[in-house]
Amino acid sequence: MKVTIEVIAAPGCKSCSAKRSELRDVAISVLGEDNLLWREINVLDELDYAVALGVLSMPAIALNGELRFSSLPTRDQFRAALSTVGSR
Amino acid sequence: MHTIGKVARMAGVSADTLRFYEAEGLLAPATKTASGYRLYDNDAVRRLHFIKHAQACGFTLSDVKELLTLQKKDNTCCEDVRTLVIEKKLQIERKLKALQAMSRALDGLIKSCEGGLSPTNDCPILGALDDSRGEASP
Repeated sequence: MKVTIEVIAAPGCKSCSAKRSELRDVAISVLGEDNLLWREINVLDELDYAVALGVLSMPAIALNGELRFSSLPTRDQFRAALSTVGSR
Repeated sequence: MHTIGKVARMAGVSADTLRFYEAEGLLAPATKTASGYRLYDNDAVRRLHFIKHAQACGFTLSDVKELLTLQKKDNTCCEDVRTLVIEKKLQIERKLKALQAMSRALDGLIKSCEGGLSPTNDCPILGALDDSRGEASP
């Protein structure tokens, strides 16, 4: 089953784009490219969805529709979260 | 220069509020007279308007402090301020949704009873609130 990874951020957040790319690489290495759906969400385009997820600070990350990080995690934190997401 | 009373009147706040803002590090008088009276310059008046305007937009005094810090920092940009504002909007939207859910729950309670003079031990609203199954919850 594919894991949906959603990064919810403010538009124009350039400072974190390199880090997001790193995290995407981590996700690919843990799950495999075919097993993940990576979405970068502009919070202003999907405000209701962000509120429903419980996002209060950004950039936030949700895994399979569940808010897991309210700021960008380290590679190790992200790897650990991805390794448990299948069992939740 | 303006006295504390004049500045307070201009902003529609009390002198105590200005003293509180000073204690919180938000607004300092430009100087004090020899007898200790606070005197405020136009920059202080402008900052007070900034604080009031930010509060009207839902920012807490702690948020205002952060905004003012961002304003002074060299390595911050509009994007940082905008993100803070978007995060405030997320908080407000969340509260709105919670209030809307409460409002719907109240609608349910209002509909459950037509009023009248029945004793309160037959009151469907009190009964619904007392319901251990929590059906009246949003």
